Amino acid sequence: MAVELDLKGEVCPYTFVKTKLKLEELESGEELAVTFDHAPAVENVPRSLKNEGHKILGIEQQGDHLWKVRIRKA
Amino acid sequence: MKLGILLTTSPENENTSTVISISRAAREQGHEVSIFLMYDGVYNVHKKEFVELVDKGVNIAVCALNVEQRKVNRVDGILFGSQYDHACIANDVDRFISFG
Amino acid sequence: MKKITVIVRNLPLNTRRNAEALRMSVGLTLREDKVTVIFMDDGVYTAAPAKSELVNAAPPKKEFEVLSMLKCPMLADKPSIEKRGIKSLLANVSAAEREEIVRTITESDVVIPF
Repeated sequence: MAVELDLKGEVCPYTFVKTKLKLEELESGEELAVTFDHAPAVENVPRSLKNEGHKILGIEQQGDHLWKVRIRKA
Repeated sequence: MKLGILLTTSPENENTSTVISISRAAREQGHEVSIFLMYDGVYNVHKKEFVELVDKGVNIAVCALNVEQRKVNRVDGILFGSQYDHACIANDVDRFISFG
Repeated sequence: MKKITVIVRNLPLNTRRNAEALRMSVGLTLREDKVTVIFMDDGVYTAAPAKSELVNAAPPKKEFEVLSMLKCPMLADKPSIEKRGIKSLLANVSAAEREEIVRTITESDVVIPF
């Protein structure tokens, strides 16, 4: 079961800062599902997380300007 | 040597030609150059000299939030990135210069 | 880990520059570098309580909150504060003697005046 994080209304770099802080609370291998409504974040946050060694399990568009990114903690 | 440059002013400012000249000179001497454009600096993406710098091997990234706020169009070869990319540049380079 | 210092020197009025300097400072922490923000000259007004919403400007409240949460030191140059008669600073911003400001800057690997 993935831990959910709602980052609607957040822009860069808070989208990444808050995702990173949440990941720090999780154990390696655990899953995090983050909801964004800031389009640049959907591109940039997964790219930056990959650079930090985490795995992107999927990016799903859930509506107009609404995305869910599923991450597995490294 | 790895050189990082931050540019936060629009193309009317003389910072633009300084950044172009420094980047060109550094590349000609074989240095790695990474430029981050944010705030009004994002307007520089449409200067043809910046596109030429990309062709010379300069890495250019811009703050996508500032781009979105200013309705600037994307340019091939320039990374429409984030403040994380800026942090990577500042963390990675040997020398960092800021023009604002 | 590098020491990065961001210096805010200009008036916060009629511009988003100072708020952007703080947003950038938050971003600079993302590679585990130690980020310090210094307010000096007219930049100290950014660190003083103000009702910027009265002039239709969004106060950089969130930027200050996140920088505090990330434990980034925020220093305001004492001579700049005194010269402008500023009586109080925002929470988590501390007044620093010029010597401390100079030491912070000279000990930094990267200095970004914004």
